[in-house]
This record gives sequence, C-alpha cells and structure tokens, in this order.
Amino acid sequence: MAAIPAATRWARDGDPVNDRQPVVVGVHATEQALSLPDRDAMDLALEAVSGAIADAGLTPADIDGAQVDWPGPGGVPGEGSSWARMLGRDLRWTSDSMLDNAGSRGLLKAAAAVRAGLADTVVVGGCKLVSRGGGPVGAGVPLEFADVWGSYVVAQFALVAARHMHEYGTTARQLAEVAATIRNNGTTNPEAMMYGRGPYTADDVLASRMVATPFHLLDCCIVGEGGAALVVTTAERARDLPQQPIAVLGGGMEYHQAAYANPALHREVGQLGRDAAARAYAMAGIGPHDVDVFSLYDPNSFEVIRQLEILGLCGEGEGGPLAASGAIAVGGKHPVNPDGGCLAYAWNGTQQMTLKVVEAVRQLRGSAVHQVEGAELAVVGNAGSGAQHYEMSVLGRTR
Amino acid sequence: MSRPVPVPTLLSRPFWDAARRGDLVVPRCTSCGLRFFVPEPACPGCMSREWGYVPSAGRGAVYSVTVVHRAPGPGFDTPFALAVIDLDDGVTLLSHVDAGDPDDVVIGMRVRVDFRAFTDEITLPYFVPDTRHERLTTE
Repeated sequence: MAAIPAATRWARDGDPVNDRQPVVVGVHATEQALSLPDRDAMDLALEAVSGAIADAGLTPADIDGAQVDWPGPGGVPGEGSSWARMLGRDLRWTSDSMLDNAGSRGLLKAAAAVRAGLADTVVVGGCKLVSRGGGPVGAGVPLEFADVWGSYVVAQFALVAARHMHEYGTTARQLAEVAATIRNNGTTNPEAMMYGRGPYTADDVLASRMVATPFHLLDCCIVGEGGAALVVTTAERARDLPQQPIAVLGGGMEYHQAAYANPALHREVGQLGRDAAARAYAMAGIGPHDVDVFSLYDPNSFEVIRQLEILGLCGEGEGGPLAASGAIAVGGKHPVNPDGGCLAYAWNGTQQMTLKVVEAVRQLRGSAVHQVEGAELAVVGNAGSGAQHYEMSVLGRTR
Repeated sequence: MSRPVPVPTLLSRPFWDAARRGDLVVPRCTSCGLRFFVPEPACPGCMSREWGYVPSAGRGAVYSVTVVHRAPGPGFDTPFALAVIDLDDGVTLLSHVDAGDPDDVVIGMRVRVDFRAFTDEITLPYFVPDTRHERLTTE
C-alpha cells in the first residue's frame, strides 16, 4: 500500500502548523431505494445531518457551518441558513446551492472554509428527491436547443462514448466489463439498491435492452432516492473525537460549461478533469499510482473508462483495455466503487456525490462492506452532464 | 407531457424566424469574427456584446451520434439518431439525422440541413444524408 504522504504527518508528530488541516470526522448515508414513498426530502436530509453529526461524536450545537440542502417544508426552501434553527445556533458558513452541498465540491468548499478559519466544523450534504420531479433527468430547467431533440443525461454521455470508441477502438464489451464489475460489488453489498440482483457477466450487460447506443440498460445507473452527509472539521478539533480523522489532502475542480445547454463534445471534454486531477495530486504530494481505492462517478460504464485516463492511470484512449483487465475490481490494481457505485448501490440526484465521499471515508477507516485491504489513500471523483464538470478530492488515513 | 417545444428568447428569436423561412443562421461576433452556437449574451471568444446572425450553408459532417431507443419523455418516435453535427462553416449543432434507418447514421457521414415544421412558430433544423458528397464519407 502507498506510503502516507507528508501532509498527514501532523497526526503523528502533532505539528501545530497543521492544526487547521481539514479532516472528515463523520459520515452518514440514509437508506437508498428506488422509491421511499413514506419519506420526504426533508426527513431524509434531517436524518443525514443528524447521522453524520452523531457519527462524528458531536452535537448539533458543535456545527458552525451548514452546506446542506433545505428542501422544506419549514424554513425557506433552498436557503441554507434555514439549518441554523435546527442546529440551535448562529452559523458562520452556509450555502444555498444544491451542487455546493454535495460530494467533492461540497467537501472542498467546506475544507477551504475550515482551513481559512471562516468556520470550524461544517456539515455538508442533504437530500433532494429529483426522482419526483416528473421530467427526464437533466438540467432541471428548459433548454431550448437540447430538449426538443430528446437529449438527456444518458444520450449526452453516449455522444462522448461513441466518439471515444470511434477514435480509440474502445469496445462495447469493455464497457460491459466495467458495468458487470461494479454491479457485482453492489450485488453483494446489503446497503445497495441492487443487493442480491446479480451476479452479472459482460454478456448479461450486452444482452440487456439498448437505451442509447452504445449504452445498454445495464451500462446505465439506477435512479433512486436517499440522502447523505459528512462533517468536516480541523485536525485540532478531531483529536478529541472518536472517529479516525480522514484528511482532505488535495482537490481540484474543472468546469467546461454549464450543464446540457450544449452537447458534450469528446474533443472538448474527453480529457476534462485532467487539470483538476493534476492539481489535486500535487496538493496531496502523491501520484495516481499511490491511490489505493477510487470512488468515481459511474452514471454509465463509459464514464469510468474516461476517468481512468484523466486520473493518470493510463494514457489517453487506453481506459477501455485497462478497465477490462480486472484492474478496477476490489482485488485489482485500481479498485473502483467497491460499494457498487451509482450502477448498483445508489444514484439519488446530487447526493450520490456525497455517497462517493462516504464510501471513501469508510474505506480509509477500514469499515467498508467490501474493504480494500490496508487502504490509506482514496480519490473521490464527481462529474456530470457528459461530463462538462469534474470535482476531485484526495483523502488520506491519518493514524 | 409531449415533446418539449423551444421557447424563443431575446437571443434566439432571429434563429427561429429564419428557420421558419427555411434558412439556417448562426451567431457571428462582429468584433472577433467567431461563429458560435448556442446563442449567448456575449461572444464566447472575446466577450463582445456586438454579434449578429449570419447565414450558414447548412452542410457538414456527423461528429458523433447515438441511436436513442429510450426517449427522455413521450412525444418522440424511437429509435432516432441524435447527432452532433460539425457544420463546414464553423459551428457545432445538436440535431437528428434522418437517414431512414437510424443505425445507418455513422460518424463522418456528410449531412445537410432539412427544415421541418414542428409547431406554427417553430420549424426545426433536422439533418439528412448529403448525397452530393456521398463519395467523401470515409473519415
């Protein structure tokens, strides 16, 4: 396993310079299901927040920052400061934006606030039940030059995947191998929406009905409901807390353009995230081959192949053969989504991004369902809409 | 719910007016000459707000294509070939290529615009194979 990088030595030598090193000290995932008809988004958000605070060994009044969805009823829907009355104290940090409340983006903004001293202990997460929105999964607003053509999230990724296949010879079977591998992780994860539904072979994926070429049904993620949250604080504060702190060692974000209005073009976004990854690795003082486990966005099989390239695990165009070689299995060189990912564990709207952090933290604590033995360094990669954006963080075990 | 109907904006109204006349027009920056799509409040090349619509010949090639079997909602005849078209005169558009059998639409295929009325107000720029360039479809 990878050597612990210099940035985490604070835990052993108590270096006061690093007292404000941001660390994740609490995580919580609610139940995730195709449908939770007896629960609303507010109920799930409250559980996620309470659960993460309890997991951290904290009380609500210890939290001075809330980057959390507020769906209502109660408070002001969409206004993050609604959480002040739940936490029972005035807040020093909040966010009103759904995407700022989830995954690496939410984590990195909270970590930046903690590092800068704007807040000490921030909860990130929530729940928005996009599955009850009625329309196709996409931007959530009318898009004049996209909607009329039947463009939606699966088709946008498909347009990138098709061009990747054309340029590099990536095959439908390589895509299917990715889907089968990650789905099989979910098949044996009791928390996963698709628990017990497999196992799957690449042939099963290829035999499932076509959604949008090159994606078969089993190449695509499920859509369900659920919430998640995490708590970030300083290394100094974490010394008194029960959980092993997981350090936020590095991060990077990259935005090509707003989601969906224009189609994702392989020549523009095929390598999107490479800059974010280089920045994140440099900040953490590590390279891609030091990483023990990857928690990556998998709205479809292809997006995993693309990320193997931009994360520097192989060259441009080489992601297909690498993914199909067994490298992404739990026992492989570069394990991806041991929890079953969006393909089989859960996709619940924006909070699926937080679930990626939850899984990385559990892996680094040594408490994951499908544990990568001795995992010390994890990468969380979130993306979307083709992918027009990428948010990556590097997390490390500290003691 | 039926197939979504585009709602013209201050930026796009001339595009839809031209489409109804059977003309394809695209935004072109007066300051730096960049042609772009979709219309934006300012030029993506130089942020100038001085831009206007110019005609396009409406010919190009398929940059990428997906045959959509599961549409995002009702109102679509599936399967259809959703394609990204690189126009020869400078912009990239999302559209459908109607080649009869959607599986016949391939990357590199030469296409030309083919306007089809959708509502009283909206005429859509579909694309069809450009037989005039049939021998050049070997990208």
